[in-house]
Formats: sequence, structure tokens, C-alpha cells
Amino acid sequence: MKTLANRNARTLQEAVQLAQAARQAGQSVSFAGGGTDLLQLVKDRIPNRPGSGAPDVLVNLKTIPGMDAVAVGRGGALTVGGLVSLSALAADAWVRERFTAVAEAAESVGTPQIRNVGTVAGNLVQRPWCWYYRNGFPCYKAGGDRCFSAGGENQLHAIFGGGPSYIVHPSDLAPALVAMGASFRVVGPGGERTMPAADFFVLPRVDVEHENVLADDEVLASVEIPPPDAGTRSTYRKIMDREAWTHATVSAAVLLDMDGDVCREARIVLGGVAPVPWRVPEVERLLAGQRITPELASGVAATAVADARPLAKNAYKVPLTRGVIERTLMALAG
Amino acid sequence: MDRKDKKGTASVSDAATELSRRDFLEGTGAALVVAGTTPAIASAEGRAATATTPAQQAPPVPTTAITLTVNGTRRSVQVEDRWTLNELLRDHLGLTGSKIGCDRGECGACTVLLDGVPAYSCSTLAVWADGRSVQTVEGLESDGEISVLQQAFMDHNAPQCGFCTPGQLMSATALLERNPSPSAQQVRQALAGNLCRCSNYNAIVEAVMAAAGTSAPGGSI
Amino acid sequence: MSPQQEAQIRPMDTVGRDTPRIDAYERVTGRAEYTRDITVPGMLYARVLRSPHPHARIRSIDTSRAEALPGVRAVITHETHQIVYGSGSIAGGRQYSDAAKDITVHKRYMFDNPVKHVGQPVAAVAATDRYIAEEALELIDIDWEELPFVLDVEEALQPDAPRIWPEGNLGLDARNEPRASGGVSGDPEAGFGAADRVFTDRYTTAFVQDAQMEPRSALAWWEGDKLVLHTPTQGISNCRHDNAKDLGLEDHQVQVICKYMGGGFGDKNGSYYFDLIAATLSKEADAPVLVELTRKDDWLGTHGRWHTVQDLEVGVTADGTVTAIRLQAHSGMGPYLRRSGGLSGINAYACPNVERTIYPVHTNRMVSGNFRGPSEPQGYFPIQSMMDGIAYELGMDPVDFALKNMLRPTDQIRFTNYTLDECIERGRDLFDWSSRWRPQPGSDPGPIKRGSGMSFMMFRAGIGASSAVLRVDAEGQYTLFVGVTDIGPGAKTTMAMLAAEELGVPLGRVDVVWGDTDRCPYSVGESGSRTTMMTGFAVIEAARDLKGQMAARGMPRGDDVLIASATPNPNTAGMRRMCFAAHFVEVEADVQLGHVRVTKYVAVHESGRILNPRPARDQIRGAAIQGIGQALHEELLYDPRNGQPLTAGYYGARHVTHLDVPEVEVTFVQTDDGYGPYGAKTVGEAGIILGPSAVANAIYNAIGVRMKSLPITRQRILEALA
Repeated sequence: MKTLANRNARTLQEAVQLAQAARQAGQSVSFAGGGTDLLQLVKDRIPNRPGSGAPDVLVNLKTIPGMDAVAVGRGGALTVGGLVSLSALAADAWVRERFTAVAEAAESVGTPQIRNVGTVAGNLVQRPWCWYYRNGFPCYKAGGDRCFSAGGENQLHAIFGGGPSYIVHPSDLAPALVAMGASFRVVGPGGERTMPAADFFVLPRVDVEHENVLADDEVLASVEIPPPDAGTRSTYRKIMDREAWTHATVSAAVLLDMDGDVCREARIVLGGVAPVPWRVPEVERLLAGQRITPELASGVAATAVADARPLAKNAYKVPLTRGVIERTLMALAG
Repeated sequence: MDRKDKKGTASVSDAATELSRRDFLEGTGAALVVAGTTPAIASAEGRAATATTPAQQAPPVPTTAITLTVNGTRRSVQVEDRWTLNELLRDHLGLTGSKIGCDRGECGACTVLLDGVPAYSCSTLAVWADGRSVQTVEGLESDGEISVLQQAFMDHNAPQCGFCTPGQLMSATALLERNPSPSAQQVRQALAGNLCRCSNYNAIVEAVMAAAGTSAPGGSI
Repeated sequence: MSPQQEAQIRPMDTVGRDTPRIDAYERVTGRAEYTRDITVPGMLYARVLRSPHPHARIRSIDTSRAEALPGVRAVITHETHQIVYGSGSIAGGRQYSDAAKDITVHKRYMFDNPVKHVGQPVAAVAATDRYIAEEALELIDIDWEELPFVLDVEEALQPDAPRIWPEGNLGLDARNEPRASGGVSGDPEAGFGAADRVFTDRYTTAFVQDAQMEPRSALAWWEGDKLVLHTPTQGISNCRHDNAKDLGLEDHQVQVICKYMGGGFGDKNGSYYFDLIAATLSKEADAPVLVELTRKDDWLGTHGRWHTVQDLEVGVTADGTVTAIRLQAHSGMGPYLRRSGGLSGINAYACPNVERTIYPVHTNRMVSGNFRGPSEPQGYFPIQSMMDGIAYELGMDPVDFALKNMLRPTDQIRFTNYTLDECIERGRDLFDWSSRWRPQPGSDPGPIKRGSGMSFMMFRAGIGASSAVLRVDAEGQYTLFVGVTDIGPGAKTTMAMLAAEELGVPLGRVDVVWGDTDRCPYSVGESGSRTTMMTGFAVIEAARDLKGQMAARGMPRGDDVLIASATPNPNTAGMRRMCFAAHFVEVEADVQLGHVRVTKYVAVHESGRILNPRPARDQIRGAAIQGIGQALHEELLYDPRNGQPLTAGYYGARHVTHLDVPEVEVTFVQTDDGYGPYGAKTVGEAGIILGPSAVANAIYNAIGVRMKSLPITRQRILEALA
């Protein structure tokens, strides 16, 4: 690794200030949560922020007290600090019972070792796992001027929302949190802002270099999830090339608000298929007020992929996505 | 030190290794540069970073004083901020039981217990271990006695080439701490982050189950 | 086997009994010293600079900025040193053919210009720490002339393909002639003429990296004009000889030490170019140098199993007798012909009319070499798949088809013993084939379908020369000197067990000295599944010799010792000595999601007498799981637009984890054919050979679609079913 300096922050405000100070001094800087993904990028000299080389300064967020708390608020809303480890989130009984998709998503990440150190915020802001980006190609995501998967080896890339970059968003928590209507709290030089989870992520056609709205020196501080209605059940189904330690080929976070055996409301958010967690509102509308039968599940799954735009080498993702939606709906509807 | 060397046929490397593991701090630190082939021997706890000749001045490398507990012993060390925990353990504390298999968090050979939970030592910085406790494979034995799990690994041929073995042991040790009677599937889940290219997966699971006092099916001869 | 034969294979006093491995303690306590665990005073750290281009000429290379970096002690390039890396090309290494290495025109150098694959070494730096060495690599300025490249094995043989060598892209044989391997036996034309049906098909298999857990390194220093080298090798004797030859030294001027190494699955029974790099840097810097390869360096800079494209033609009569087989294959060898590119599998069938043409082809992918059963899994998968398909076409149970067409002893073809039929029958019973096999493939209702497949093999269990030295002192303590390193199968323990058995003493009376060429005699090395058979046989001979000496002269007294050494070179008088096996696999396939899971795996092996049951069983289990990895997951994907590898590494290649693997059920059929040490045969490579074919045949039975390309990934299954 290139030489770097670690700065332990004691508060979020200090973290932001340390980052700003380093940047003003002409240094490249990265926030460090668990660091499990960041360190690999550093070792391979792959820019974590487009245009930045290996960081001169790491601002350590782990030393900020209170960032790793899971709290249940009034009415049952869940507040998860950005530095909560994935294993802590997966093991939390309350999360598992009421926010099942989130617990299952956290549990599906990587391996025990990664989950013990990797954090919620880290998982949400991790850079793409596109093999071009990770092998150091000078692509959009590295601050370069093209996407190598376009017209290239795009077996793992997007079938929705792609262009000019065709990455798929690598986070498992992202689809689950979007499905559960979470909101994200961001802290930075301009203060604090909160937004719906869906608005945190950006399509390449809006901003090709970044996957989310974080500006320089902003930190994803915490996530809040509103309490689900009674009768809500949720799950996260992840399809991988092997049984662990791999990003989703296709995944689905599904939430069903059931009234007996009628689905009052459904939320389905897909992973592994688009540069952002991919909602399918037209499918959700078709499910509202319905009994979920095999025919309905099959039909809505087909609708979900009707306007998929596969690339030359990833067409298999279309029936795979359809199958994942159909099977997950049936399994969750019981 | 190889047990088989009791007859005094220790090789040069054995003697050198004894020396190096205790006292020797080499391999990193641009500031410690010497002219000859025999570097200054410095203690692992704190060293002066000085350039020896004007022509060899390198910019100072950021370092931090940390205190951590390693295998039950408190250690105060001056670490370069860029060192991974693995580098601290292997290169500066002489604990070479934890391996580097990939240095990218993709194989598990570097697994240690960080505050009791398995973590990839290649994927966290030494400076972030300040105030924390680390357990490596060397710390599994106490008073010269190996653990029940280590004995079970020996009895069940769990190491083939042995390179993944320390990491598998650490993950399994943490598992048995929190779940003394795991099912075979629970063992596999707990060790899912430890690759074995010899693919001795079946024997490793059998060893862990045996240590837990339960038994796994399979492996008929 | 007859009751008398069964009776012969009861455990002996030591041999045949579960024996913990001698060094298990070191391995479970972190005491085992692998190459990078060794530190010596003054040690420098080295990094290797690698080509970013698939094919390029170095117009100029300027290392002045690197040399000026404080802490850098030596920089070497193709301009500073032109050292032939002899074992890297054309059947290299003493164990294969010294003569061939001498005359090859396609010499491979420590640093080559032009470079011929991404990842090929071009320079190396030794510095006081590895950070400086890394940084120095960035300061080496190279003016590259990029050349056209070729990745595809069939394209590479087209007349207009970019030439990797002046002679073109077909590999040269040991006489420097571009030549396909293979040959003709019997009369294929007549055989096809006699067939009622002729089937043709194309199969492809992907490149698979050895991917042992220990990334490679080499630690070298000089003591006067003697080189001391620590390196993770499978064969210290060959490693010593290869390195000596390349460095212009005599064998006795090189000491190779390897006490522990983290996995050897082939092509480590000899030297590697980073041994040469370490030795050269050490000489230049006048200090010990540790060369460390990163995992990516190791992945792209060493070797893996050759990828293939195979066109098969098989003729059968209506009653299911194979009358002719024709194979035309292209094996992708990378730019250097390190190994043969051959393909086995057809030899397991009785068909006398066979034509094989196998082109070893040069491309600008990384180098191919030996990996556990070098020509086997990728050879067996196509022909066993094809025969499996033909069985269904003829309405036959694949097991019956196998029994009908497998090679059996004849007047002309004699085996030292033969049990393939027994392996298949036992497997069929243990697996419960009749319940698990679906006569109608893909017939299970619903999206989740089960199916079963099988395959069978015979594999060389040859015997030959190796050495052992055995010493006894006045206390009756024995010391066995063998040049093994114990890559995982437990060679040290097995050798000690053989000595103890033959000497008639408890195992605890036998110490083993290993892994150091200064102290151990020649060993053929731990590859080709030969250590037990060849070195083991030498151990027994040495023990017999020593017993004879003790009988004639009595036990030694005081400080005296008795020493016996043996270098036997037995042969089987023209008979084939083979090990046999049949694998039966059940899979569960989800045709909607493309997922395949192995739900039952039965492996029946005859490998002669099993010397140490647990390690032998685990050799088979581990190898079978590697076969599953090859079947379902592993490959190295290149982008053809730019010649860049995209999936190097454990994540990219999706290596199987604990959660991906079934329990492999191993049954040994034990025999003693009177050869080898107490009748022991090959175990190390036997288990991997049938994995891909048995799994693929099971998938066919489950989904009713024949998958003809390895790896059989989710994507490929979904595409095949679309």
C-alpha cells in the first residue's frame, strides 16, 4: 500500500472537518468504516471516488461513539447507525422479526468475517464489482470516459436502467431498505439532510461517475426504517454463482402487507439487475388487493421483466429475474 | 521450531528465524535504511525512525502508537498507519501462523479473532485494532496444551497442505464458543469464509463436529 | 476379488492402519514454516513487474527512476540478465526430459521480450521493504510496442493469425517440429463403416487455475558460490537441478529447502522463474531476497489446466458396441509449451479403432501446465458425456453401456490386476442407481429436478526410480531421509509407515528427514501420484538392505550407525499397472433458476493397498470436490477486444466454499498386485478425473439437455433451456 495517514474522528462533525481539511491541503481522502472493501481498492490503487488515487488520508469513523447502535424508536421505527456491523444487524431479533428482509439481506453478504467487520453504510456505498472497474480499467466509475462492459463482457451487468454505464448496484441492503421505505440521513459540510432510500441512489444517466448522491466529505450516518404494518412479511432472496461470498446475480427484496390471504400492498425491489435498486411499481399495482395465486405470481413476474433491456451476454438474467420474483412471491405469500 | 530438529540438525534458517521472531523488525519502514546487509536489530516495541544518509531520505511514514492485546498479552507497538493487522502480526510480532492467501479478503487464510469474532486480518488496519484484543492460532494453546479443536483437527486429518488450517481453526473456535453443539450445516455456515483448495471440506467439518462432541455422517472408507 | 485376495488386504502391523500425520501438530499450531514465514537478517523484499499487454515488444526499458528510489537495492530486466527458464517450456525439468529442454528453439527466459501474455514478468525489484519495492515498480518506464494478439485456439491456427512464434502457433515437439499429438490405432475408417450410427459433437472445457492456497514465493541467498533457496516446490531434487542448470551451476552448488508448502496440484515439481528472480536479485544486491507473488501475480504468472475445444465422432452398432472413435482437439497452452496438451479418456474404452489428433496451440492467454491429472478431467468429460448420450439414444442404461464398452484385459492388453468392473458394480449398489437414475431424463415434475450420472476411469499407477536412505543408531532409532515436501497427502507419514512396517518396529522409532536437498537423496518428487509408489518402494528396499546389514553385522555400537540407501527402478514387465474408479453423482437442478446442487456423490476406487486410510480417503474427497469446482464454476474469462483477463482470483473464479460441497462417500476396493510398496497404487490424482463427467451426466439426467461446455454455470443452463 502507498503510505497513508489514519485520522480517528471523535464525532461526525469532526470526521467531516478532517476530510475537508485534508482535501484543502491537496490530499486525497476517504472515510473508513469497516474498511473491508475500501482496503482492497487501496491495495489495488483503484479510485474509491472517481478521480482520486489511493487515499493519503483515511478518516476513521469507527471511533465515533454511537454510530453502531440499533435503536427502536417510538412507534417501532428502527434507527440503524451507519457503523452497525452486518452481523449485528442480522443477529438482532427485533430486526429479524419485524424487518425480515433487512436481516436476510445483511446475512446474505459475503462471509461471517466480512459481516463481522463490514458495516451498513459501507455496504450501501460500496463501489461496483464490475470486473472492468475492479481490474483497474479507466472506466466511468474510475473517473474515465467509457464503459467497457458495453459491447464487451457484460454477463453480470444491467438489464434495466443501464447506460452509459451498465454496472449493477452491488449492495444487498439497498433493495431491502428501499422496499421497506427506509430513509437515509447524510451528514456533511453543509449540515444534515435526509432522503428516502430510493433517492439516495442515482442512475448513470443522471451521474455516470457516482452510484449515490453523496458529495465529497459526506457520510451516510444512519438509516431509519418506519415500522411496518401488522400483517407485513418480508424477505430477501439472493441468487449467487456460489453459495456464499458473491454479489447477487439477481436478487429480490419482497414485502407483502397481508390481510388474511389478500395482499393489501406489495413492494418489490430488485438487486443485481440495474445500477440502482430497481423498483417495479407496475407489478406492485397488479398485486394490490389480490390473492397471490401461482397464476398471478407468474403473470406479474412476466410483467416485471417486460421492458428489460438485456445486453448481448446477459439475456439469461431476464428469465432468471422472472423466476426469482415468481418463486419469492409464492414462498412469501405462503 | 520443528520438533523433529531435536537432534540438533537445525538448519541455518531455524536459527535465523529464532533471532528474527523475537527481536527483528524488518521488512517495512522506509525510514530505517542501512548500508550493509545486516540491519540494526530493533525491538518490536517502538523504534527510532531515522534516515542514515542524506541521499536516502524518504518522506516520513505516518505512524501511530497503539496498545492491543494479542493472545492474552498486552502489546504496545508503534505501527505504520498503512500496515494491515496481518502485517503487524506476521512481520512485527513474529506470529506467522496467520497466513496471507490473497491479501484481498477472498480466501480466509488470514482469519483471526478480533474481540472474539472472526475477521480477515488482511482487511483491517493495525491502527484500527488499538484497544482491542486479537487471538491468532498461536493463542489457541494454553500452558503448552493444544485445544480440543486442534487435537480433533489432528485426529481427523483436517489439514492437508495445512495452509488454510489456522484460519479454519479460528472460525471454528469462535463457533464452538457461541454454539457448543452445532449441526454440520451450522459448521459449514460458520466456516463459509474459509476456502480450502485441497478441498478437505468434509474432513474439516468432521473434525469440528468431533470437537463439539457430536458426530457428522459421511466419509466411509 | 476372491476371499483369498480379500484376506491378503487386512491391515498389516502399521500399514493399513489409521495413522495421524507426523507433522499434523505443526500444521494445527501455526508452527509449520512455509516459505514466507521465514525471515533472515538483512532480508530484502522483491516484487515482480508484469506485462499489462497480451503481446508486446519492449522498445526500451528505463529503470533509473526505480533505482534511485531510496531503499531499492537491485533492479533486473531482460536487458540486465538473459537467463533461460528451462523447466518453463518443452517438457521441462529433469523428471521429464533434460535432453528435450536442451534443444528446444522456443526458449523461455526469466524475462522475455516480446512478452506474450498479460501477467508475464518483465522486471523485478529488491528493496528494504515491500512498499518500496511496490513503489519502485511504478517507476520503471517502458516504451511498449503493442502487437496483435490471439486468444482463440482455432483462430490461432488460421494462416492469418498473429504469430506468437516465428514458426507459427502450433506447439513444437521435442524435436522442434510443429506437430499434433495423438495417432491412429486399428482401422477407424473400417470401424465407422461397420457402425449402424455415427454421432458427432463438439465439447469445450475452460482453463482452470491450480489456485493452491499459498501464493508462491522464493527466498534466496548465496553462501559463496552456493545458492540457498527456500521455495514451495513439490520436488526439491528437480527444483535443485533445474535451477542449477539455468544458473550455470552444478547440482551440489544449489540447496533447495521446502519443509512445508501450501498446496501443490501440479507443475511445482521443478523450478519456477521466481526462483531465478530471487537468486539473481540476491546476487545483485548481495543480500537475501524474498520474492513474493501477489495472488494476482500467482494466478496469471504461473499456470493452470489447459482449455480445450474437442470434436468427437463415435460409431456404434445397434446393440451398443462402439466400433470407432475419432477425436480432433485443440488444447490452449498459452505462449509457452510447458506440457503436452494431451487428452486422456478414450483409452478407458475397449474400442480398437481410434484416431486422435490433438493440436497444442499457442495463444496469448496465460500459460497452461499440469494440474492434478493433467490430461484427464478435460479429456474424460467429452468422451464420457458423448458415450452417455449415445447410451440414451440406444435406449440403454449408461451403466450397462459402460460395462459393455470399457477396456478389459485381452491377450494383447495385460494388466497387473483389473477391477474396473467391480468398481462400477459396487458403485451402482452403494449409490442405489436403480432408484436414483431416471430412465427418462428431465422427467421429474416441477422446476426442481433430480437426476443421476456416472463415469469410470483407469489411470496410470506406474512404478519407477526414486531413492531413500535409512540409518539406524546404537539406540535402535531409525532415521529415514527422503526428498519429499508433503504437499498434503501425508507423504512423510506414509514413508515412515512403510519403513516401520518393513523393519518391524513401531512407527515412533522412525524419524523422517525431509525437504532439504543437502540432507535428502533424490526423490522423483510429489507429482504424477508417484511418491508413494516410487519413493515408497525405495524406502522398503532400503529397509530390507538395512535389515540385511543388521543381520550380518549386528546393531551398531556407541556412535556408530548403519546406513542403507536404495534407488530401485522396478518395472512391470510390459503389463499395464492402473488404478480404477467409478463415480456416481446425483444432482438437484432448478430449471427455473439454473441452480445445480450435488446431492449425492459416491466414489469407488481401486488404488491397490491403502497404506493410510484417512489421508487416502481425503485425497479422493478433496480431488472430487475440485472436480465439482471445474464442472460448475471455474474458468478464466478474457476480453477478446483487449486480451485482458477479467476473473483472476478466488472471487472471480467462484471457488467452492464449505457451503457448496456435498459429502463425498469413498469406498476403496483394496488389492495387492505384487508391485509397488505392498501393492500400493496412485491415489493423489485419481479422485479428480471423473468429477466433471459424472456431474455433467447427472445434470443431463436431471434436465434432459446435454451441457457440452465446462463450466456448467447457471447462465449456461438457463441459456440451454431457453
